[in-house]
Amino acid sequence: MTDFHHFLRKAGAWMLALVAILWVGGSFAGPVEAPRSSERLALVKQRGSLIVGVKTDYPPFGFLNASGASEGFEHDLAQDIARRLGVSLTKVAVSGANRLQKLEEGSVDMLLSTTGDTAERRKIVTMIEPNYYSSGVTLFMPPEQNINDWSETRGKKVCATQGSYFNRIMAQRYLLELQMFNSARDAKLAVKDRRCIGYLFDNTAIQGDLRLPEWAGFKAPLAPVLGTPWAIAIARREAGSEFERLLGDIVADWHRSGFAIQREKVWGLPASTFLADTHALWKKLDASGKPLCEREVSGHWPSVCRNPVFLNSTDTTGLRRLGLWFKENTGLDLSLIYDEYDRTRFLLGLGTTVLLMLLCVSGSLFLGVLGALLAEAKVLVISRLIWIASVVGRMTPPLLVMYLLLFGLGSMLMTTYGFSVSPFAVVVWCLSFYTGSSITTALLFAADVQRQANPVFQLRWGNMRELVATSSGHVTAALINVSKATMMASAVAVPELLSVATTVMTENGNVGVMMNVLLLTFLLLIFATVRVLKLLERKLLGMSQ
Amino acid sequence: MNLPGLDVLRELITWTPFLLTGFSLNILIASLAMVIGTGLGWGLALLRLSSRPRRVKTSLLLTELTRNVPTIVFQFYLVFMLPSEFVLPGTSITLGFPGWLNASLALAMAVIGFTSDNLTTTLHDWRKGDHAAALLFLPNWTSYMLIIVIASSTASIIGVSELVSRCNTVINATGNTRLMFPVYLYACVCFFLFCYPLTRLMQWTRAQLAARLGPAPH
Repeated sequence: MTDFHHFLRKAGAWMLALVAILWVGGSFAGPVEAPRSSERLALVKQRGSLIVGVKTDYPPFGFLNASGASEGFEHDLAQDIARRLGVSLTKVAVSGANRLQKLEEGSVDMLLSTTGDTAERRKIVTMIEPNYYSSGVTLFMPPEQNINDWSETRGKKVCATQGSYFNRIMAQRYLLELQMFNSARDAKLAVKDRRCIGYLFDNTAIQGDLRLPEWAGFKAPLAPVLGTPWAIAIARREAGSEFERLLGDIVADWHRSGFAIQREKVWGLPASTFLADTHALWKKLDASGKPLCEREVSGHWPSVCRNPVFLNSTDTTGLRRLGLWFKENTGLDLSLIYDEYDRTRFLLGLGTTVLLMLLCVSGSLFLGVLGALLAEAKVLVISRLIWIASVVGRMTPPLLVMYLLLFGLGSMLMTTYGFSVSPFAVVVWCLSFYTGSSITTALLFAADVQRQANPVFQLRWGNMRELVATSSGHVTAALINVSKATMMASAVAVPELLSVATTVMTENGNVGVMMNVLLLTFLLLIFATVRVLKLLERKLLGMSQ
Repeated sequence: MNLPGLDVLRELITWTPFLLTGFSLNILIASLAMVIGTGLGWGLALLRLSSRPRRVKTSLLLTELTRNVPTIVFQFYLVFMLPSEFVLPGTSITLGFPGWLNASLALAMAVIGFTSDNLTTTLHDWRKGDHAAALLFLPNWTSYMLIIVIASSTASIIGVSELVSRCNTVINATGNTRLMFPVYLYACVCFFLFCYPLTRLMQWTRAQLAARLGPAPH
């Protein structure tokens, strides 16, 4: 016993060491290297004022209020930086077209102006990490639209403006049918006329519209996708300077302290998942109780705390490094292997699918056999009812019955009794009922065939086995079909393999990889199911013969 | 109490042309899947009856593969992996590749497996001169088509504007959640009214053929 404990402790220590090597890599505890001094920061201090390029035409991030003063979410952030530096704040209105140039020529110290952080822009300016906000693409929809998930938009007409970078990607990954318009105004009017289910646009720009009385009741309930992180930008030559370090520490503190979330609430913005996730991440402690996101000796943030979009293989260690190296060299993004989040989701999806298959196969068999037994019991009304049920069951699409039960009946139960129906249970029931009906029919047909030779034959539990033996081809085929049909569950948001794979694919853009993995996984799953069913068939029926 | 029921009925009548056009797409998808699948499955069945073992083995392997691919997944595969439009080689004509065609191709996979299995015995019977037994393929084939018509409802998951998808469109467009139950029920009735008479007809045909065959030898 003590030997075993000793072994466990030793193994544990080795595991810890291994994890340390894989995850922490070269970072050893020690003083963080000091950054080089900053000309710009010296200038700000000498001037006694921080000049920030801000937006004044983008409510509620930066806009002019009724009295003509500029304010907004980003203005509050700029104010906080000036306060921390102990200088006054001077705001300069910039536009999307001129902001990078103003930074370049030095007429502003920094930009806090809805600037998206991209690899392209990182070649021109220095982007402060961590990012302070993130925008995404969503749908601006009329009040009566009842769509709450992106998967419900497949094949639907969606209005869009020409030239938006996300149009093509959204059409490809989300299978939208885009109706192009020349201006945002035209597209929004088309939504008003119900010529499309909604307008595809940047979620932060939509927030401004939703405040206007003209669009009262309009909404944007879909979670923003294709997130673009926003960063504070400073001049390119300030990279690695004290100024960059200071601003990064301030943004990190906004996330840790919850200041960013608090300002978001003040300006009536819908709760952004980016801010919530970042807040949780930056508050996390490591095994020794120290904050997980602390600067390493090199002055960089640890790679787990950085936006994975900007990481390359040299920034990371372990499995992720291998995965990124593979991606950089082959273009194939195997995120479901190297990325812990994707990997966990994928395995959970696989587990859900296997569980669904097991439950649907046994459910179908149970209902099918039960139906046949009850029908053969020759109780007048029950036999008739079973017959009707099996005919209706076979001739109505299970997917449609799922919608009928889940949304039709489910919403009635919800409003009347406050009882919510589980999509998982509905899927298992509908598929089992559909397949059970086929099995009942096949068994009753086999019983009829028996009666031709033996007119007094009646199906009972006792002679079920020999009857199944004569109709096992049909029964096995039906059971294989129901295990294939479990993917239908993705239509009612059960997180099984198919829906997980499409989510990972739309988030990472690795469509080819995910589709091939998905097809291969299902081929293997079905292949295994077929083998298991044939084996059971042989074992169960073979012994009786 | 009676009024809401009447309102719902009126709504359903208004949307009937829209919904039934959707249902015709279900039948189109299923029919095309049957045509493609039967053609290719026939080829596999002929190979299975070949005297060369290698051909038989290849056919069995391909049949096994078509049986194992879940059509819903294959549908997604085609939608995301095939271009939504392509240029005809040697010309500048761009052809669209609509979603319903992807659904047909995916469902055709299942039909290939079915045809390959069933036609093998049918062709065998036919060559033996047992034409009546071979004719049993027809009612079986029609019954399978009904399964494919039912399965065509899954095309709604990739956004094909067939009946199930149009039910969702109606519910979303009217914003009337009380319409949910009647609309889905209406669609169920559509499928049932199409499938039930055909099933009865096929049962009758099968009985007629069986009578002509005389008592089964086994």
